[in-house]
Amino acid sequence: MTIRPLMGLFLGSALAAFSSVAWAEDVTVSFLTHWPPETVAKLEAAAATYAKDHPGVKIDVRAVPFGDLLTTLRSQAGQAGGPTITGIYDLWLPELARDKLVNAAPAANSADVSTNWPKGVATAASVGGTVYGYPNEIDVYALNYNKKLFEEAGIKEAPKTWDEFYAAAEKLTNKDKGQQGFGMINSWAAGVVHPFASLLASNGGALVVDGKPQLDSDNAKATFDLYEKLIKSGASVATMGTADANTTGPFLDNFVSGKTGMIIMANWWESALKAGMGERFADIATAPIPVGPKGDGPHSISYSWMTVVSDGASDAEKKAAWDFLAWFNGPTSGENGASAMGDLLQSMGILPSRTSDVAAFSERLKTPFLAGYVSALSEARPFPTVLGGQEFTESLQGHIEAVQFGKETAAEAAAAAQADAVAILEKASQ
Amino acid sequence: MTGFRKSIVVMLAPSLGLIAVFILVPITLTIWLAFTKWSSQTPFATATFIGLDNFREIFGPGSVGRDFKGALANTALYSLMSIALILPLSVLFGMLIHQAELKGANLLRTILFATYMVPMIAVALVFSKLYSPSEGPINQILGWVGIGPLPWLSSPDTALVSVVLLNVWQQVGYFTILIIAGLTQIPQSIYEAARMDGARGPALFGFITLPLLKRTLLFSAVIALINAVQVFEPVALVTQGGPVGSTNVMTYHIRRVGIERAQGGLGSAMSVTLLLALVVTVTAVFALARREERR
Repeated sequence: MTIRPLMGLFLGSALAAFSSVAWAEDVTVSFLTHWPPETVAKLEAAAATYAKDHPGVKIDVRAVPFGDLLTTLRSQAGQAGGPTITGIYDLWLPELARDKLVNAAPAANSADVSTNWPKGVATAASVGGTVYGYPNEIDVYALNYNKKLFEEAGIKEAPKTWDEFYAAAEKLTNKDKGQQGFGMINSWAAGVVHPFASLLASNGGALVVDGKPQLDSDNAKATFDLYEKLIKSGASVATMGTADANTTGPFLDNFVSGKTGMIIMANWWESALKAGMGERFADIATAPIPVGPKGDGPHSISYSWMTVVSDGASDAEKKAAWDFLAWFNGPTSGENGASAMGDLLQSMGILPSRTSDVAAFSERLKTPFLAGYVSALSEARPFPTVLGGQEFTESLQGHIEAVQFGKETAAEAAAAAQADAVAILEKASQ
Repeated sequence: MTGFRKSIVVMLAPSLGLIAVFILVPITLTIWLAFTKWSSQTPFATATFIGLDNFREIFGPGSVGRDFKGALANTALYSLMSIALILPLSVLFGMLIHQAELKGANLLRTILFATYMVPMIAVALVFSKLYSPSEGPINQILGWVGIGPLPWLSSPDTALVSVVLLNVWQQVGYFTILIIAGLTQIPQSIYEAARMDGARGPALFGFITLPLLKRTLLFSAVIALINAVQVFEPVALVTQGGPVGSTNVMTYHIRRVGIERAQGGLGSAMSVTLLLALVVTVTAVFALARREERR
């Protein structure tokens, strides 16, 4: 046994022991999340368990739609009554840290994160080497396809290359039934950009290299071309891909009702698919991202979420918040050595990132749906977390959607997206 | 200062003080911030004066300028379409309900006004399902008469119109009540005199009702314009400004820039521009109306 797991065990136990000390004064810690009601109920149950040993601390959970999360955080952080703990997307961290909205983790919590999470995940929760939060979920993308529709179209196996992917999309298309081969998302920035970035990574490219956008590279141009080809052939129908603020809407409806043959989507959609499909969820299979002509293998992009503590909270609130997070993400709060956070993430089909959680859920992660995502993790490319990342993402979203709706050609979109991205990242770094 | 003047100052001070604190100070602050580079997450003291740079950027050729001009155009189009539909419909419904002999006029009035009382969040969520291209009831009904399916919120060509229709559905009841109030102010004796001179339906409407409703219509148009410019909820809840920015209206865009991206200076410049555009438009509408009256 190396010293690393021992250190993790020691830190975890020490923090867990410390967390059971009763608080001298009453503190209310608010926890802002975008999770759905059933998950919020699980979080509240975990908070109630924590409160039994910490009678002076009350964890108050607030939930908003995903589309409102960043706005709520930015408009309320540091204000009286603002959230003490917030679940955030790693792309937002650099700007939140720059604006001093998030509290640097105390030494014990920082060491806990550095020791008990994979290095790449801990780095995504850090800015300039300072840890700002507890990582929780990690998300990757894979090809989801409807086996029943594949069978009807005479397709034997999931496409491995772009050529096979395009051919499958065409075969799956049935205009008389209102059925499209491949579903593209619109009106949701991450939902538009992440599948595109995964196809780009599987074509040997990247959105940003060393802080410089690469959207007019040959690899990126080929990805825009693929989108254009799918749209022009009718194998993708742009109007079938609209998403709303809750990341549901026609895009989800069309896939769960069997009107879309394939999508590229993240693992956390498992719960939405199960809810929408019921027993028909068994028709859905997962496969690696198809590889482009310039690619060396399937690569998803990955991104993570973390819980951060507001820098504007009072010292007592911050102390209580970090203590709760150490317990909530620690190995004693869940079942069979898993953390309560791990239990909660697994209930949504989300991959936990804590090393001990991955071990605790090893059997659960072997389900046909999730196994495809777990196998994608090792070859995943992290989504670039740079200053101006949100604006960069929204700008790229606009150009991808312009190709989807025939407002720009693939070549125009690549050139315009690159010009915009250069200006956005330059301005953000000033 | 005389005692009378002092008492005026003392009596006006509370209300003027409140106006200053809650209206003038925020507006002045926004105007000042429009000329600065400022992250909306940092104290005002961190704002750096940069002159007209924010205005150059929002009217420039870059992505910021393109998105801003797109949002401004979408807002103008949304406002024009809303007013163009709301005013004629409210006059039509107002005339219908105002007819004393119409059975169920009170019920119709209640139903129309009820739409205005439903929270926009509920309206937006229900309409997002009604508009669903594949499973929405609207397309199913249109399908019975051989129309469609229409993409509604899912296409950049129809999304803004779909949001306008949602707005019209919700607001028309309120404006109908305003029109009825205007109609009740028109003396019946004028209609009787006109009828004695041989005027009938369309002539009565064109030469008496419409001219005498002018002030009500002007007021309604201004209120409808202000309401339309402030549209936010249906966009935030249902379309997120998409597809391809086709429903990205000013309030939603300012929130995205000023709050989500924390670019407070740019967001303030956009807000000031929107305020100026609104003031100029409303002033122009009143000036036109005054010129018409003088004729």
